[in-house]
Amino acid sequence: MDPLEALVTQIQGLSSTPSDVTRLHTILKQSDDSLRSDSTRLSPLLSQLDPSLHSLGFLFILDASTAGPVSKTQAENVVPIVTRFIGACSAEQIRLAPEKFISVCKRLKDQVLLLEAPIRGVAPMFTALRKLQVSTEHLTPLHSEFLLLCLLAKCYKTGLSVLDDDVFEVDQPRDLFLYCYYGGMICIGQKCFQKALDLLHNVVTAPMSTINAIAVEAYKKYMLVSLIRHGQFSTSLPKYSSSVAQRNLKNFCQPYVELANSYGTGKIAELEAYVKTNAEKFEFDSNLGLVKQVVSSMYKRNIQRLTQTYLTLSLQDIANTVQLNSPKEAEMHVLQMIQDGEIYATINQKDGMVRFLEDPEQYKTCEMIEHIDSSIQRIMALSRKLTTMDEQISCDQLYLSKAGRERQRYDFDDFDVPQKFNI
Amino acid sequence: MDGDDETSGPMIDEIYANGDDGDKRSRRAIMSADHLDIEAYAGLYGGRTKIMRLLFIADKMNNPTTQLEALRMAYDEIKKGENTQLFREVVQKIDGRLGPAYAMDTAWCESVDRRAEQKKEKLDNELNAYRTNLIKESIRMGYNDFGDFYYAHGQLGEAFKSYVRTRDYCTTSKHIIHMCMSAILVSIEMGQFPHVTSYVSKAEQAPEALDPITVAKLRCAAGLANLEAKKYKLAARKFLETGPELGCHYNEVIASQDVATYGGLCALATFDRAELKSKVIDNSNFRNFLELVPEVRELINDFYSSHYASCLEYLGNLKANLLLDIHLHDHVETLYDHIRHKALIQYTHPFVSVDLNMMANAFKTTVAGLEKELEALITDNQIQARIDSHNKILYARHADQRNATFQRVLETGRGFDRDVRSMLLRSNLIKHEYNVRALRKL
Amino acid sequence: MDFSAVTAVLASKSYDKVADVCDNLMLQVAADGVAYQDEWPYAIHLLAHIYVHDINSARFLWKSIPSSIKETQPEVPAVWKIGQKLWLRDNAGVHQAIRAFDCSPQLQPLLAAFSELYTKEMFQLLLSAYSTISISDAALFLGMNEDDATNYVLQQGWTVDPASQMLIVKKQPVVTEQKLDPSKLQRLTEYVFHLEH
Repeated sequence: MDPLEALVTQIQGLSSTPSDVTRLHTILKQSDDSLRSDSTRLSPLLSQLDPSLHSLGFLFILDASTAGPVSKTQAENVVPIVTRFIGACSAEQIRLAPEKFISVCKRLKDQVLLLEAPIRGVAPMFTALRKLQVSTEHLTPLHSEFLLLCLLAKCYKTGLSVLDDDVFEVDQPRDLFLYCYYGGMICIGQKCFQKALDLLHNVVTAPMSTINAIAVEAYKKYMLVSLIRHGQFSTSLPKYSSSVAQRNLKNFCQPYVELANSYGTGKIAELEAYVKTNAEKFEFDSNLGLVKQVVSSMYKRNIQRLTQTYLTLSLQDIANTVQLNSPKEAEMHVLQMIQDGEIYATINQKDGMVRFLEDPEQYKTCEMIEHIDSSIQRIMALSRKLTTMDEQISCDQLYLSKAGRERQRYDFDDFDVPQKFNI
Repeated sequence: MDGDDETSGPMIDEIYANGDDGDKRSRRAIMSADHLDIEAYAGLYGGRTKIMRLLFIADKMNNPTTQLEALRMAYDEIKKGENTQLFREVVQKIDGRLGPAYAMDTAWCESVDRRAEQKKEKLDNELNAYRTNLIKESIRMGYNDFGDFYYAHGQLGEAFKSYVRTRDYCTTSKHIIHMCMSAILVSIEMGQFPHVTSYVSKAEQAPEALDPITVAKLRCAAGLANLEAKKYKLAARKFLETGPELGCHYNEVIASQDVATYGGLCALATFDRAELKSKVIDNSNFRNFLELVPEVRELINDFYSSHYASCLEYLGNLKANLLLDIHLHDHVETLYDHIRHKALIQYTHPFVSVDLNMMANAFKTTVAGLEKELEALITDNQIQARIDSHNKILYARHADQRNATFQRVLETGRGFDRDVRSMLLRSNLIKHEYNVRALRKL
Repeated sequence: MDFSAVTAVLASKSYDKVADVCDNLMLQVAADGVAYQDEWPYAIHLLAHIYVHDINSARFLWKSIPSSIKETQPEVPAVWKIGQKLWLRDNAGVHQAIRAFDCSPQLQPLLAAFSELYTKEMFQLLLSAYSTISISDAALFLGMNEDDATNYVLQQGWTVDPASQMLIVKKQPVVTEQKLDPSKLQRLTEYVFHLEH
């Protein structure tokens, strides 16, 4: 009997109980090399298998048959097969061979990009990552692929759905870097600046031993978003960031650091002039759009500052202080900010005045109490998580052996001290 | 914000009173700004500082007559001493504008330099002899003489080193204090104020009680060091603690008038009302100093009794002269800003609402200018108020503690959430990397 | 292609759900490898994003529409015109774009609903942001002529200042629910417990 035929029979026979599937997995691993050498004959075999029942076997054969380079026409055939497989496969089975599943999914991404139809990969990739992950806290290598497809297919909103999960478990640092970077871009596109800031912050402050390109690009966007969201940016990173990042990141982003400095002066004309002369650099990084948002955020920032100092101010004075051309333009800016809930004010057209009000929130409504309540719940859950993590680490063998070794060294030092005094 | 009806009555009286009073006071003789009696000023000082102060004035003065006057006096003073380098400099600055009597005197220079050379040789021989004989006291004296010699010839760095070297040969605390005082003097001349601070504290640690004059000198030196370090509050304290025994005993560094001016302005810029009352106005010691500079005394009293217009006028008149002071020069603007801000803050403090027209009047400025000043102070959270630019009224703003707390709590919660999540992520990454490294080792 | 889900949600007048339904359906058909672009109801999809003020999504959708479709289906750029005006915060322009839009019967109910919603929102904005406003500006914001706008706001209790011919805005008291249910007490106990352990 042809060995391939035999393999198909075994797959068909050993796909029902967990113990059978484990045995099958061993067999498949052994025949992986022969599968690869026979890759041209594999596609017909797939029709003999049911992707939902024989997921593991299907996966091995699919992986081997799609391993080589594909042409556009071949891709047109392969994509539906992979898509159907992702939709139908059993999560338990594919999790036995995650690296195979991941490589199949990555190939799907490559192929839809080859077909110039990234949108075709969005839904399957989402299904795939959900099937692969053990819990929503688990970051899979497919997360970043999914977000990339969302970006390319301009399905930003779809991308947000994944970003709502809090991830803690990471397999590869690179996955996290890309996930946070693409995620940051999606949030920027949807103007969820705080969320974008959190994601980019993770990239910039992640432990790293050498500077990588993702971190540099993330840092540029981090600066810009920070200016838009908070109106300020401090070039000093928190002390828990890696020392390479603290020392080197800003050297790679000089035009951005200067932009932040110029923003700090509060002078709109200077900022605009700076952006104009450096537009090419920002354009090169494809950050010009974001830089323009930085510029327009400065008007808002300056108006917001006025609300802290004035109770009433004429539209003319606002226009003068904020450097707008006319009272009407100032009125439109104020109106927009009221609409977006960024300031509390009423415009009096009759006298050409604006009256700034205090935040009407009294922290008494049911809604607010619900909000506070849910925040407390969330933080309690988080602190429980922290305790668990702490316990885990303090019981971790590797950690203990390292900490133990260091303790020993300290003890040795302690022992050294009296000798010094003996002299 | 509805309390303005009750307060506006008395408030208006008070503000008008401020304005009127200011007008009346201004008619009194106030030290005129454009004229400085250099001769009287120079008379307050002796030694090197006299020369340096005159040269500083000549540098900063735009008026050529006064400038030449200062240079002439500096020339005369230098000629009394042995510093030929300084002499050459001043001659260059005069540039023949004072006639042949104030030209280059090469003969004088040469003879001074020759004598110096001889003296140095003599001191050197003496010191070597003492050192071979190991007589501690003589060695100390030898180094001290060297210090004096270098100081007189303007080699301040060498002088400092020589004085400091005496330290190893000091046998009594009197010697130590003498060493400290010399080191302080040279350090002040060199502008090395960190040294001043450290030698002041060294002198104060001396086991024997110091005589009151030395104590007063040390306070002044410490005050100057703090002033230069921009620690104005500490500087004020030191000057205020200076005893009246100082008299003119420290005129190679500072005059009693300076103690009053430096101390008064620093105190005004940094003290709150209560401190101003207890440590300045009710300080009988310091009153003696203030009597020497009545303008400063008056402006402090004006500030305390809220006559800001008059206070600011005194300050305005003093400014030109203060800018000619070698130590205060760099700090005048900052101190003035502080004082003006404090005046503005203090002015608004008791009121629920303030009419900006009246306030501008009291501070001798325009309403628009005042608005800008207040805007800066409010942004800086120094005044808790908001400006009704429409009606030109400043309203006090009372922060709602409850709402502010809620706001802060929610903000803290968000921050905690963010930080913990990213921390967990980072620790997982580190764990991952550590595991990978451990695997690689296996 | 099966557009029944879209038609159903349109028929049920749950206009705020149309965008999500369209998004999901689009991803679905794309994954199935269907060449959907030519038949896709882009105008409805765009307007549905605009209806929920997700102007970012509308913009990204617009960018992803093939230019051939923008040229052959005049409704698509007409809808985007509205989105553009919203993006620029040109309030009067939004009304103009709606009025200038001669749309198909299929789109009509959604467009009418959006127009009504937008007018209401603009009224709320005027209410919160102005204490006095000129009649002409109010008319622009509400997308009405001056007489209609005046009548509209007078019904809401506003008045006309006879001297300046300006509208004086009458604020409406905000009613908020402040009652608490007893379960909160239970929660509080849990918090204290958490803090002590």
